[in-house]
Order: sequence, then structure tokens, then C-alpha cells
Amino acid sequence: MEGKAPEVRRGHVTGSGRKLKDNAADWHNLALKWDRLNDAGSTYATNIVNFTLQKESGKEASLLASSGGAADAPPVQGLNPSSRELEEECVKLQDVVEKMTRVLSKMEKMASSDQGICALETFQFGDEGRPTPLFHTWSTPHFAAVSSRLCESYRQELSLKRLILQEVAHTSDPQLAMVYLSSWLHQPYTGDGDRLLLEGLLLETGHRPL
Amino acid sequence: MSTHAVATLHQQLRKSFRALADNQRAWNSVLAECAPLLGSLGNLAEQLRALDGVQIARTPLARFPDLRDRLRCKLLQAVDVVLAKLTEKTESLQTVRDAVHGLASAAFQWYEQNADLLDLATCTLRSAAAPSIAELLEWLQDADSYYRQQFLRRRNLLQMLRPDELSELESAANWWASIDSPDGDELISEMLFRVAVFVDSG
Amino acid sequence: MTSVGVMEKLNLKWLPCDRQDKDTQRCRMGAGLMASLNLRIGSPVLICTSGSACLCRAWPRSDLAEGYLQFDTKCSTQNFSSQTFKHVSFTPQHITPLKCPKLKILKVNVVVKSSVFKKRTAGPLICELVKEMLKHMYVYEKHVVNVSSLDTGIDFVLVENVNSGSTKAGLVTGKTTLDVGAVVTLKQHRSRVQESASTSLGGMEEVYASLKELLLLPLHYPSALKKLGITCPRGVLLIGPPGVGKTMLVRRVVKDIGATLITLNGPVVLGSRPGESEENLRKMFKEAQEASEEGPCVLLIDEIDSLCPKRAGSSSAPENRVVAQLLTLMDGIGTRGFFVTIGATNQPDTLDPAMRRPGRFDREVIIGVPTLTQRKSILTCLSEKMPLCKGLDLCALAEMTTGYVGADLSALCREAALQAIRNAPQEFGEKRIEMHHFHEALKRVQPSCLRSSIGLTDYRPVSWDKIGGLEDVKLKIKQSVEWPMKYPESFIRLGLSRPRGILLYGPPGCAKTTLVKAAATSSHCAFLSVSGADLFSPFVGDSEKALAQLFRQARACSPSIVFLDELDTILGSRGDRRAPHSVQSQLLSVLLNELDGVGLKTVERRGTGEKVCHTEGHIESQHDQKMQYQEVCNKDVMVVAASNRPDALDSALMRPGRLDIMIYVPPPDYESRLAVLQLCTENMPLHSDVCLKEIAIQTDRYSGADLENLCKEAALLTLQQESMEASVIHHKYFVQALQNMKPSLSAQQIDSYQNLFT
Repeated sequence: MEGKAPEVRRGHVTGSGRKLKDNAADWHNLALKWDRLNDAGSTYATNIVNFTLQKESGKEASLLASSGGAADAPPVQGLNPSSRELEEECVKLQDVVEKMTRVLSKMEKMASSDQGICALETFQFGDEGRPTPLFHTWSTPHFAAVSSRLCESYRQELSLKRLILQEVAHTSDPQLAMVYLSSWLHQPYTGDGDRLLLEGLLLETGHRPL
Repeated sequence: MSTHAVATLHQQLRKSFRALADNQRAWNSVLAECAPLLGSLGNLAEQLRALDGVQIARTPLARFPDLRDRLRCKLLQAVDVVLAKLTEKTESLQTVRDAVHGLASAAFQWYEQNADLLDLATCTLRSAAAPSIAELLEWLQDADSYYRQQFLRRRNLLQMLRPDELSELESAANWWASIDSPDGDELISEMLFRVAVFVDSG
Repeated sequence: MTSVGVMEKLNLKWLPCDRQDKDTQRCRMGAGLMASLNLRIGSPVLICTSGSACLCRAWPRSDLAEGYLQFDTKCSTQNFSSQTFKHVSFTPQHITPLKCPKLKILKVNVVVKSSVFKKRTAGPLICELVKEMLKHMYVYEKHVVNVSSLDTGIDFVLVENVNSGSTKAGLVTGKTTLDVGAVVTLKQHRSRVQESASTSLGGMEEVYASLKELLLLPLHYPSALKKLGITCPRGVLLIGPPGVGKTMLVRRVVKDIGATLITLNGPVVLGSRPGESEENLRKMFKEAQEASEEGPCVLLIDEIDSLCPKRAGSSSAPENRVVAQLLTLMDGIGTRGFFVTIGATNQPDTLDPAMRRPGRFDREVIIGVPTLTQRKSILTCLSEKMPLCKGLDLCALAEMTTGYVGADLSALCREAALQAIRNAPQEFGEKRIEMHHFHEALKRVQPSCLRSSIGLTDYRPVSWDKIGGLEDVKLKIKQSVEWPMKYPESFIRLGLSRPRGILLYGPPGCAKTTLVKAAATSSHCAFLSVSGADLFSPFVGDSEKALAQLFRQARACSPSIVFLDELDTILGSRGDRRAPHSVQSQLLSVLLNELDGVGLKTVERRGTGEKVCHTEGHIESQHDQKMQYQEVCNKDVMVVAASNRPDALDSALMRPGRLDIMIYVPPPDYESRLAVLQLCTENMPLHSDVCLKEIAIQTDRYSGADLENLCKEAALLTLQQESMEASVIHHKYFVQALQNMKPSLSAQQIDSYQNLFT
């Protein structure tokens, strides 16, 4: 067992350690991907809000009765160029959310795999678990806890984003629209704690130099 | 003796004005970097205000009861980040201010120490190529007080800002812009233009 | 170099400061002048004009022109920046070169724009900011540095002392230690500057002391009071007639204890929009509350009666809401004991009673119309800065000004000063205000508590000599009216009590009214006169109210004389055939009450009773003692009534204690008639054959009025029978007039008067 620790430093890890390390790297990549998607989505969402608000003010100005342009999720085409653009933006945003969903499902897979490793350890070493940690200090169940915690955060975030996707094109209240946008951009459910956990994960597994 | 003193002082003033031109460029570039930061500060304030204005429980967001607190926390963090960046910028402004002050006070000090050699008639004598010493000193002092005043007001503005005062954050960009004194900056430019021949002659 | 002598005589023209020199402390002058003053570029100079100064740095003008002076007033004395110098001619003597060492220590006070700024900004931050502002500036002791152009929330920096006072001026450098003393808001600063010019108080020492104690207690010793378990009084109601100086008193007290004063004017608060008044009230209270967090604060609600009328009386809902809001706010002042509310009113009776209970207005301080001594001290205060002529007797003036309140007295002094200017407009130097100026002013300025009174009559002063004859009657009247007012100490010494009322009776036309006027004139007291016509009103109860009001006013400006002319027409008798509830009987009961009613209303209280023992304990000048005696004894109103039908009066009026002295004014006897005739013909050109004695003999049973008429008739006859150019009146015309006229009195009538009360 004592031989494990130097192995980590050399990068030759096998078994559970290997798996956990790979997962950590994946976590990092997925988080980055998520952030990229978030930035892209934020641009789209901003465009959508701008379009709807413009249309709203335009509607008020011309005193035209709403022809249901904003009532359905895919806006009625051909009303004016902006409604087609709006639709395009909505589709793009939807696309982003789909991608995020896929990212999340990968995250969930990793979480469950970490869970599996944990179960394996329990099977191998009993309830006390491994006597010495795989890497530096974290116990195996801690890895599982961290990844499920991260997973939970992103799941929350995604459900918020889904809701925003549904609602953002339909609100005429500029304040509410602003709240939608800022909750998209600032991702309230993935806080500093999550970022810290992720960094900790990378440090622990040796992806970041100590 | 007097001519020697005049020549020395002229040389020093030339150097000062050259340095002043560099400092003006540095100052303006820092200011240009500050503008977007203040814009985002206003933007964040707007978001915070919107968050306060919306009753989340009555919107589709009611499913996320802790959204308000979390989002507020996030936004305030973002405000802090921007403010920290601005503080950094003021530090660069401060270096400019200190540099200009150093130029002005050094030149003036030299004059005071050698005032016995430089009578008033000499000091107020001007030619086509060079403004009078009195004018040169005055301009340097003007530049010094302009940057000092600008810096004081800008730093004071930032020190007065508090994340929980939304209206202040929102209007910070306007205040910041209102401190801009085109006259002052023009004064510096004009001054540099007027001394251009003098500076190049040395 | 220009010769110094020429430069000294140079007249400098002041020009406003150039824009680019603003806030630079530069003082632009010609290079020649600078050289003659031995100044270098940037040397500190002090520019002094009458009583104010400004600290600048000398700088040559860029156009090198001599004879002009421009300077920036960033660092100057308080009164400097507000002046313009167009009319001030500067000479080089006004410019003093200074030696300004680098400062080690600088002590300043800071004036900030708002209390919000003060609250939000930490002390060290302010200190740092101020230091940054003052760096590389020259400062002078007690000067004000104007930094409002920087727009940082700090408006002024008041330089307290430099280098702990060892030098006057100096240069602030980065190494100067800055000591920030007090931080005050602009409002406080302004009020302090303003109040330092306020006038001194006269005659209000006692009220002042009690009010001050009241305010100081909770403001300065809140913890001690807490230990004792006492809640501090939080409200004071000041009651007094208009013009006695309620507001001024509060301002003065507030200034002396160093508190912030926030004034709330009733009418200003009331707004037209529903809810606006309440909002304004809340705003004011909030402001006061905020100010009280910085230090003691007094909220003065002036004319509180307009803000807080009786709720039952006024049916309008908005007013009731304002009252309710005020009550709530006053209750809400709560535990923070640095906040005292003072209400001032002249009509306490119209206030909502809920206001006048402990917890709201705990104390009521009554300021009455000033008494004699108070008037004297007010006059002393007022005339302090006036050039009075040496022999001017302020005591006499105080005696003359019964019923004058502080505001009246200051108006009087102003008027007197104006008179003095009018009389001698040319002479500019020596101008002294003399007594006759005051006499002139007295005619123009009426006591304000008598204004709008029904009893105020514009009578011409009558001196005793203008009434011919009737010497014993005059003596009696003097005894009962003038003596008690003039020589109270003698009355007290002999245990004499002064009469309450006097009835003058006698046949019509025998100078009853004129006698009373003469008495009022000579005793210098307020004179209120009413007759039936003044009192009767078509509205039920109005006449009684008017009479009661008359007495109230008379008491307010006592010593005073209330003259009821033709008393029989006003009152009649209760035993009369007329209906028992007629207006006249109502008036009678009011008068009886006023004559010997149970007591004064509390709000009519004036002065204090302490004076009596005072006089015995201390050795004071005899005159002061006399004044105090007069003050103590003359609190009452003297009622003088005149009637030619005393038999028609109610007997209840006649008993001692009411109209206790009856004076019969008889028709003139021979001597009196002669005196009257002499008086009447004083301005008539009589022929030498006119024998007044003879006429006097022939005019038995003629009244004074008859005699006057006779003289007129004779003069008219002269004009009628001779020509318009007639220049003398002959005796025959008197005889002729006498034949045409019958005496207005009959022997029987005179008998009945004489036997009336014997």
C-alpha cells in the first residue's frame, strides 16, 4: 500500500486510482465545456431578450394586438424579420441547453462511476475503507461525495437553464427578463464552493502541481 | 551666472515637459481601461435592482426558492471583482499623479533654490522660441494640480461606492464620466503644444 | 527696477479671478509690484482688507501689466469669499509677504455636505481625504479653505490652528500630521455662523435659565437620569403673546448649549395633496432624528396651534390626521434622549389637549408681556449699540412703554433711530438719539398686544393743566389713579390697598372723559376705552366675549386703565324692568367677574413672584427697588367708569372692592368756570373790553362744554356781524351769545346729583 503514494507522483496509477484520476480530468474538461456553453448561451439569451423587448415596445407603439407572436414557443414566422431572428436565437439557445444536458449526463455517469469505485472499496476493505488514501489525503468515499455534490450543482443549474429557455422569450417584464439573464450568466447554483471542490479534486489527483 | 542658471532650468523644464507628455498618454490609457469596468458595474447594479424588483415567488422561477439569495451573492461577488480591478487602475493613476507632481515640485524647488540668480525680469522674459520661466513653472503646476484633483475625485468616488447602494453603483459610471474634464485634458495638450518648440529646441 | 515710493502709491484695480487660476491660490499682480514687495514667484502673501484676509501665492501676470490685482479666494477668512471687491481699492499696503514654514501639525474642522456623508464616511477616511486636499497648499490660522469644487462631499475645511499655534501660516506637505477635530454638516456650520450674530436677550433671564436647564438635563446627562430611573422631559411648550421673543429665546438657548436647531413652521408643513402634510412632518422628524444622532438636537415647532388644532372642533379629516401624526411622532421620539421638541404658540387654548400631557409636551413655559424691569433690560440690550444721548433715562422709557413686547420695543428703537436720522440727515458724524426721538417713535409704534383690541383709542395726550378748575376733583383722581402707580412703596408702607375701580359721575359735559384721559396721560399706562357701541353686537355672546377680551388684553399690558364711558348705557341695572337675560345684564355679570373674579388664567401669568423677597435681601439702588415695587403692585387693571346716571347702575357694582371710589364731578363753580373760559379763549384774539370774570359770574349752571360752546358762539357771531376780516372778539358778542344759550343743567338736576350718595 505504501508504494501507492510515490506511484501517484510518477503518474503510474492503476485500478481505482487510475479511474478516479481520469474522472477528475474529465470533470475539469466538462466544467470548461459547460462554461463555454454558458457563455454562448448567454449571448443568445441576451439577443432573445432584446428582441422580445424591442417587439414589446414596438407593439405598444403601433397599438397592434398581439397576434400570438410571442405566445408559442416557436414564434410565428414571417411577421417581421426580427421574429425569424428570434426563432433562430431560440433554436440556438435550445441547442446549447441540449448540449448542456449531454454534459450533465456525462457528469452523472462519472458520479456513478465514482460511487461504484467507492462500493468496490467497501467490498475490498470493509466498512472502514482503504487504510491509506489513494492519493494524498482524500478517502475514496470523499471522491464520490465530491463528484455527486458537483453533479447535483450542475443538475440544479441545468434545470434552471431549462426553465429560462422556456420562459425567456415570453416575458415582457424587463425586470424579470433581466433576472433571467443574470441567473443564466452568473449560474447561481455553481458557487465558489464547487469551483474549490473541483480545484481540490485536480490537486488531489495530481493534475495540478502542488 | 544668470544665463547659466536659466539654461540649466530650461534644460530641466524641457525634460519635465517631455515626461509630462508620456504621463498624459499613460493617464489617458488607464482611464480608457476604466470605462468598461464602470459600465459593467452599472450593469451589475441594474441586475441587482431587477432582482430586488421581481417577486420571484410569482414568476415561473418560484421552483427555485433560494435563487434570490444565491444570485445576489453571485452578483455581489462580481461587483467586488470589478471594484478590485478599478482599485488596481487607480493605483496606476496614482503613479502618474506622483510622477507629474515629482516633475513640478522638482522644477519649482530648483527655481526656489536659485531664485537669487533669477530675478523677476529674467523669469518673465519670453521669446519666440521659449515661453517665460514663470509660465513654464505655472503650467507644470497646473498640470500637477489637474492630475492631483482628478485623482482625488476619482479615488474618492470609488471609496464612496458601496455594493449595497444600488443607485450609487448605477450612477457611478455617470459620476466617473462627469469627473472627466475635457478642459483640463485640453489644457495639458495645449500646454504641451505651446512648449513643443521649446522642448524640441533643447 | 521701479522705485519703491512710486509703487507704494499705486492703486490696484481688482479684477475677478481668471478661470485657470481658480483653486490655485494664485494672486496675480504686475512683475514690478512683485519686485518692489520683494516677492518671488509663488511666495505666500496675505491680502488683507477691512477685517478679512486671504492667503495667496504671488504670481506675475502673464501680460505683465501693472495696476491690477486678481486673486483666488480658496483659503480666506469666513467673510472674505462672500465679498466682492469692486468698490474696494487695493494698494500695495494690503499685500503682506509671509514666511510660511513647512507644517508639522495642522488642526482643522471639516464641514461636510450632508449628514449622510458624515455617517457613511469613517473618520480616518475623511482625514485622509482632507489631507490629500490640503497637500501643497498654504494655510493660515482660522481661515476657511473652500474645497467644494472638488465635489467630494466635503465643502469646507476650517483651519483651527497651524503648528499648534506657534505660527500663523504654513505649507502643508506630505509629512504634515493632520488632526481633524469636529466634522459638522453644512447646515450646522451655517447656523453656527449665523447665530453668532444674534442679539442678546433682555429680561428673559429666568425663563432662559429654566429652559436651558430643561434642555441640558436630558441632553447632557442622559445616563445619570437613566440611573435615577427618570425619563427625561422631551417636549416643552412655550406660551406667550406674539412678539415676546419665544422663537428668539429658543434660538438663543439652542445656540448656547450647542445643539442643532431644526425649525418646523406649521403652515410650511401643510400641503394640499392628501397625505403630504403627514409626509412632511415625518420628514422633518426624521431629519431631526438624524441630526440628533450627531449631537443634541432641538426641533422647534413654531405656531404649533396652526398645526395642531383641537380635533373635536375642526371636523375636517385631514387636520385630524395631521394632529394624530404629530402625536404619534412625538411619542415615537422614544428612548434616544438627545432630541427635544419645543412648541411655541400664542393660543394654547386652541391646541389639542392630547398634545399637552406629560410624555409629549411635558413642560409648559409661559412668557408673558414684559414687566417694567424686563422692559428696562430689553431696552438696555436693544440700545447697547445705539448712540444714545447721555442723559437718556431708559427707566422713564420703560415706564412709558407699558404693554410693549420685545418686538415692539425693537421697532420702537428702530423708529427712534430713524427719527434721529430724519432730523439731522446732513451731519454724518455725531448723531445721538435723544428722548424726543423716542417720544416721536412712541406715537408711531403701538404695543402689539393692544393691536386689534376694541378698546384701543387714538387719544391725544391731555395734560392736567388743560382742564380748567375742578382742583379737588383732580386731586382725588390723582390720588386714586396716579399715586398707586407712581408711588406704590408709600402705599405699601401705609398698608393702603389701591382702589379697584373708580366711578366718575356728574352732569354731562363736565369733563369726566377729559379727566380720565389726563390721568392716563400722566400715569403713562395703557389706556383702553370702550363705550356701548363698541361692545354691542348682533350675535349672541359676542358682547360678553368682547368685554372679557378687553380685560384680558388690559391685564396683558398692565398697568392699564380700562375706561368704560357711559357705563349706564353699557350695563343698566339688574333690577331693571328689562328682561333679566338681556345683553346688558350678561355684560354686567362679566364685568363683576372681571372686577373681582377668582384669579387669572394661567396663560396670562407674567414675570415671577420672586422679586419681592429679592428686594429685601440685596442692597440695590433705590430706583431699582422702586421699579420692582411698582412692578409688584401694578399687576392689576384699574377700571374707571363714567356715567351721568349713577342711579341707573346696579348696586352690586358700587360696593367696595369693585367701583369703590365715587368721584362727583360737579358742574364748574365760579373759579373753575373762569379757568375754563381762560383755556377756551387762549387762542382767540379777545378785545381788551372782554371781561372773562364777568362772564364767569353770569354762567352759573353752565357746564364746561357749554362754556366752550359759548366761546365758539361768540367768535361765530363776530364773524357774522362784522365781516370775515374781523380780527378781535368784542365783549358784546359774548353777552349776545349768552342770551341765546340756556345752561344745559338745571338746579334740580344738580341737587339730585349732589344728594345721590349722601
